[in-house]
Amino acid sequence: MGRINDVGGVQGFGEIIVEQDEPPFHTDWEAHVFAVNTALLRQRIYHLDEFRDAVERLPPSQYLAASYYERWFLAIRTLLIEKGVFTEGELDDVHDG
Amino acid sequence: MSGDHADAPIAARVRRMEHLLEQRGLVVPGVLDETLAAFLNRASPTNGARIVARAWIDQAFREHLLVDAQVAIAGLEMSMGGGLRAQDLQVVANSEREHNVVVCTLCSCYPLALLGPSPTWYKSEAYRSRVVREPREVLREFGVDLRPEVEIKVWDANSEIRYMVVPNRPPGTGNLTEEQLAALVTRNGLIGTALV
Amino acid sequence: MTFTTGEQVRTKNTDPPHHTRLPRYARGALGTIVRPQGAHTLPDDVVRGITSQAEAVYEVRFSARELFGAGDHTVTLSLWESYLEKP
Repeated sequence: MGRINDVGGVQGFGEIIVEQDEPPFHTDWEAHVFAVNTALLRQRIYHLDEFRDAVERLPPSQYLAASYYERWFLAIRTLLIEKGVFTEGELDDVHDG
Repeated sequence: MSGDHADAPIAARVRRMEHLLEQRGLVVPGVLDETLAAFLNRASPTNGARIVARAWIDQAFREHLLVDAQVAIAGLEMSMGGGLRAQDLQVVANSEREHNVVVCTLCSCYPLALLGPSPTWYKSEAYRSRVVREPREVLREFGVDLRPEVEIKVWDANSEIRYMVVPNRPPGTGNLTEEQLAALVTRNGLIGTALV
Repeated sequence: MTFTTGEQVRTKNTDPPHHTRLPRYARGALGTIVRPQGAHTLPDDVVRGITSQAEAVYEVRFSARELFGAGDHTVTLSLWESYLEKP
């Protein structure tokens, strides 16, 4: 019955929460996810439809738990792996500090 | 051992991705920040406010805007370029009988090349699910209490066409300059969740 | 198949396993063509790696009553020709 992103008319999501004087991005990493996505789309590493598809394919529990730009990050990650640009290991090899 | 760091803080994971993309030559160091700064400098609700103010005072511009927004806004030196992909703009105008409100139920489509990133509530499941089904209630929560005879048109931006609303010009603004009129227009007014 | 302004159309009642831009709430519903909106590649094809020609997109308006069984508003969507059929 459709994907988790397809919420038009679905009941139960509750109140609409409005943040007053919201900035364009809340953190630097959000802005960078946005910029990385723009750069990769312009270089045709993937198509905008493929990006939307990758967001929608996130497991429903993950989709609903993630913030907007977390979803973007996870979708970009999926596409970079699927397109063979990087391996999962390369992307997840994160050292803090 | 590097091991599985899939639960590392998101900021670190984004940095890692960016670092790899730089190594691969897909992202040039420093260019992302420059692109972002240029984008935020260019795309903001102020653009929409200027378009609306012009449409309020210039009937010919208004008619042109409602028929061919792309060409009309080029006359104000604005465009829909520079976003995720070049998209078409369609502008719809409120009247005494009609109120327009925009949503993207499937994702978060929004004229971002023109207006900058959309607010978080616009991208929320709560707004996306509810406004197509019960717009009158949703608008009331935003403080827009429409008379029952005002027809509500909801626009679901599900293709590559992006929508922007021209609100009604508030009464008693006959002596304001174009600039003063533009200052009255809010981002929510351009989406349709505010009267102006 | 082409449609003209004012013509009644029905959206297909499909449930594809892939990406699509026909939302669930607007499937199998009767609407009216408001106007043609140019031609774009069908997203359903793009994500499946199918090369196809740009396809006509139409602005289609539905009554809330048709979509949800209640309500006095309308909802307007942009729909690819592949999503539409003669009622």
